[in-house]
Amino acid sequence: MKALTRVGQTLLAPVLAVLIALVISAAVMLAIGVDPFRALEVMVDFGDTPSQQTTAIVVVLNRAVPLFLAGLAVAVAFRMGLFNIGVEGQYRMATVLAAGAGAAVSLPAPLHVLVIIVVAMLVGAVWAGIVAVLKVTRGVSEVISSIMLNFIALGLASFLLTGPLRGSEPGASIITTEEIPESGWFPSLNGVFGAIGLADPPRQLYGFLLVALVVGVVVAVVIKRTRFGFDLRATGLSASAASASGVNARRMVLTTMLLSGATAGLIGLPDLLGSNHTYGTEFTSGLGFLGIAVALLGRNNPLGIAIAAVLFAFLDRAAVPLQIAGIPSSVVTIIQGTIVLAVVVANEVSRRITRRQAESGSAVAPPSTGDGSTGGGQGPDGGPPPDGPVGTGPALTNATGAAGRTSPTGSTS
Amino acid sequence: MTESAPLAVELRGITKRFPGVVANSDIELRVARGEVHAIVGENGAGKSTLMKTLYGMHRPDEGQILLDGREVVFKSPGDAIAAGVGMVHQHFMLADNLTVLENVVLGAEKAHGIGAAARRRITEISDAYALGLQPDDLVEDLGVGDRQRVEIAKVLYRGATTLILDEPTAVLVPQEVDELFGNLAELKREGLTVIFISHKLDEVRKVADSITVIRRGTTVGTADPATTTAKQLAEMMVGAQLPTPQTRTSTVRDTPVLQLTGVTVAGQGTRPAVDEVTLTVREGEVLGIAGVEGNGQAELVDAIMGLRPLAAGTIVLGAEDITGWTTRTRRERGIGFIPEDRHRQGMLLEAPLWENRVLGHQTEAPSAKGFFIDRKGAVADTERIMREYDVRAPGADTLAVALSGGNQQKLIVGREMSAKPRLLIAAHPTRGVDVGAQSVIWELLKDARAEGMGIVLISADLDELIGLSDTLTVMLRGGVVATLDPGEVTPEQLGGYMTGAVAGTPAGAA
Repeated sequence: MKALTRVGQTLLAPVLAVLIALVISAAVMLAIGVDPFRALEVMVDFGDTPSQQTTAIVVVLNRAVPLFLAGLAVAVAFRMGLFNIGVEGQYRMATVLAAGAGAAVSLPAPLHVLVIIVVAMLVGAVWAGIVAVLKVTRGVSEVISSIMLNFIALGLASFLLTGPLRGSEPGASIITTEEIPESGWFPSLNGVFGAIGLADPPRQLYGFLLVALVVGVVVAVVIKRTRFGFDLRATGLSASAASASGVNARRMVLTTMLLSGATAGLIGLPDLLGSNHTYGTEFTSGLGFLGIAVALLGRNNPLGIAIAAVLFAFLDRAAVPLQIAGIPSSVVTIIQGTIVLAVVVANEVSRRITRRQAESGSAVAPPSTGDGSTGGGQGPDGGPPPDGPVGTGPALTNATGAAGRTSPTGSTS
Repeated sequence: MTESAPLAVELRGITKRFPGVVANSDIELRVARGEVHAIVGENGAGKSTLMKTLYGMHRPDEGQILLDGREVVFKSPGDAIAAGVGMVHQHFMLADNLTVLENVVLGAEKAHGIGAAARRRITEISDAYALGLQPDDLVEDLGVGDRQRVEIAKVLYRGATTLILDEPTAVLVPQEVDELFGNLAELKREGLTVIFISHKLDEVRKVADSITVIRRGTTVGTADPATTTAKQLAEMMVGAQLPTPQTRTSTVRDTPVLQLTGVTVAGQGTRPAVDEVTLTVREGEVLGIAGVEGNGQAELVDAIMGLRPLAAGTIVLGAEDITGWTTRTRRERGIGFIPEDRHRQGMLLEAPLWENRVLGHQTEAPSAKGFFIDRKGAVADTERIMREYDVRAPGADTLAVALSGGNQQKLIVGREMSAKPRLLIAAHPTRGVDVGAQSVIWELLKDARAEGMGIVLISADLDELIGLSDTLTVMLRGGVVATLDPGEVTPEQLGGYMTGAVAGTPAGAA
C-alpha cells in the first residue's frame, strides 16, 4: 500500500509534466498554424500493414537503445553530483576508434564483437577520465572541461576519419571508415517477431538492445545495492557528509567519470554494429546531448531513463511522417524541449513537496502511523522521558492535513 | 513605569504555523518602554520564530503586533526598522574586510550619507551608549564582543528604539557578557527597550527587568527576576528537572588511545589554523577542548578524522601511527565521529534513516555484506538504534529531514556508539538539541567513558565541558594554551584562558 502510493507519487510528476508539455506544444502548434490533433494523429499512426507497424516499432526501439545508454551515462555521473556534459565527445571518440579497431582486426564472431565493445568502452572511459583528472588534480569544473573536450573530440574524430582511419574511396561524397567485417556485426533480434506472432519487418531490430538491458540492470544494481553505489549517492546528496563518512572524494570522481565514460562509449555501438558497420560523416550525432534530456526526464533512475528513451525515440520517429503530412518536423523538437522543461520544473516541485511532507511528518512522530508494526511497539517500551509523549521538537498540534491524528497530544503539559 | 503609558511592544495571540508544525501558538508578550525584557525557553521552544515575527521576517498567521499601542503590520524587516525595531542576530552579519564605519553605513546610506555626517553619528552613538567603537577599525581586527557592539551600533544607527538581541551571550565568554550587560544598562538609561532572548537563566536574572517564559511554542507565564529563583524559572521552562552533566568517579586508565604530537594544520593566511598541538587521550578519559569558536578546534577535529592534511606532526591511535591513513581506514579502525554540524557532515537529509545508519560505516556489518549494502541488516539495526537510543520516528524508511534536531543527533550518537569505537570525537554533541535529548546524550557519553572509550569533547557549553571532562584543555589561536583540572576551574577562569586574558599556565591534569 505504502509502496504503491510512493510509486504513484514518483510517477505523478513526470506524467503530469508530459501532459502539460503536450498542452503547451499544442498551443505552439496552433500559433504556427498546425492542427495539433492532426499532428498527434500522424505521430501515433504506425502504418496500415502489420509489416509497417512492426517496422515502426523497430525504428522506435532502435532509436531508444542509444538514447537509453546516453541517459545512463549522464545519470551515473549525475547521481554523484557530476555534470558530464561530455558524453557527446566521449561516444564520438569511442565510436570512431571502435570502428577503426573493428575493421583492422579479424576474429571469430563473438570475440570480434567483444573487442569492439571493449575498445569503445575504454576510449569513452579515457576521454571522460581526462575530465576527472583535471578536476581532481587542478580543480577544473567538469562542466567546462567536458564541454571543451567535446569540441576536441569532434575535431579529432574528423581528423581520424579523413586521415588514418579513412576507408572510403577518395572523392566519395560520404566519408566513412573501412567497413567492419561480418564477424564483427551484432546479430539482429528479428527472430523474436516470428516467435511472438508478429510480421517480420524488413528492418533489423538491434541485438544490442540486450546489451543495453544488461548494462541498465548492472548500473541499477551498482547504484542501488553496492557499497560503491552508496558512496556515489551519498556524495551526490552531500559531498561534505560523504567525505566525513570516509568516502575518498577524489577517487569517487575518478571512478564515476570512468564508469560514465565507459557507458558513453557504448552509445554509438547499436548503430555501428547493428546497421552502419562504419563510422562516417553521416553517423548519428547529438545523442550525448539528448542523453542529458533523457536522464533528466527519467530522474536519473535506470527504469525511468528507459521509459524516457522510448518516449524520445517515439517522438523522433514521428519527424519523417510529419514532414510527409506537410507538418514541420520541428514540432517534434518543440515537444521534446517543452517536455524536458516541464519535467525539470515538476521534479523540483515534487522534490520540495516530498521534503515538506517529510518535514511536517516530524510533528506527528510516533502515534498511529497506520501500520501498527512500528508505531505500536515503540511508545510503551521506549521509556520516554517524563516530558510528554511526543518527543520530537515541540509537541504541538499539527497544522496541515494530519490535524486529526494529533488530537490527544495537545492536552498534555 | 506608569500604568497608563502604552507598552513599547505588545503581542496578542500570535500564532505562526510552518507546514506541519505550529512554531508559535497564541503568544502573549507585553514589554514596557525602557526595560530589558528577557524571553527564555529551551532550544526549539519557538523564541527565534517569535522574534522573526516581530522583526518582520515572516508574518504571523494569527494575532496582532502593537508598537506603542498602535497595531502594525510588517511585510519585511525594512518595515520593522522603519517602525524602530532592530535585531542583533546571534550570528553576526558583518563584512570582515570593511571598517566599522562602512559596516554600519552599509545598507543605510540614506540616513546620514557615507561621509563626515555618518562618522559623526556613529561617534555620537558610540559615546552615548559607551560602545567604545572606532569608526576606522577594520572589523576583522575586532574581537567577538566588539563585533557585537558594531551590530548594536548598526541597529541604533538605523533609529531603532526597540532592540531584539537573539542569544547575544552564546558567543561570548563571561567577561564579555558582563561588558554586554553594561551596554544594555546604558541603552536602558537612554530610554530604549531591549528584548533579550536567552536560555541561560543566571544571565537572565542578572540583566532583565521582567521575564517571559516560552515553552513548546507558547507563553507559559511571566516572572519577576527579583523574586524568582533560577530553579523556578527552569521548571517553568522545561516542566521538569534540569539534567546535569556531572560525571561520576574517574575511569581514566593508563593506556593512551590517541596521541597527537606537534600537530600543525595550515590556515588561511600565514598563521597555521592548528599550531603544534600535543595531546594525549587515555582509555576511559574525556578530554574537553574549550575555546572561542574559530580558534582551531574545527581544524583539529578534521585533522584527527583525516579530512584535512597535516602540515607537521603525527597522530597515533593506540599503538599505530595513523597520520597517513584515509578517513575510511581511521573510522574502520575505531574512531567514531559526532560532527559539529550534523547537517553538513553527519547526515544525508534526503535519505532514509537506514541509509543514514550506513553512512560512515559503509564497509562494516551490519551495513554491508561484501561489496553490497546489506539493506535488511541496516534496517534492522536502525530499528534497534531507534529503540535503544530513543530516536522518535515512524520507521527506518523515514527521511532524515523529518526528524527534529535532537532525534537526528540521537541517531548519529547511536550509530557511532554501535560501532564500538576506541576513540570518539564528539564536536558539540548537544548543540541545538532539546533538554531531553541533551541528558540522553550526556548519559551515553558517560557510559561509553566508563566502558573505556577515549573521548575528545569539543563544546561551547562551558558547563558541559567542565561537567563531563576528566581533563580540560583550552585552545586559543590554534594552540593549546592551558591544561586545567575541571574539578577546580570555574567558568569565569576558563573564559579568561579562552580570550587570552589569563596567560596559559599548565596546571597539571587530574
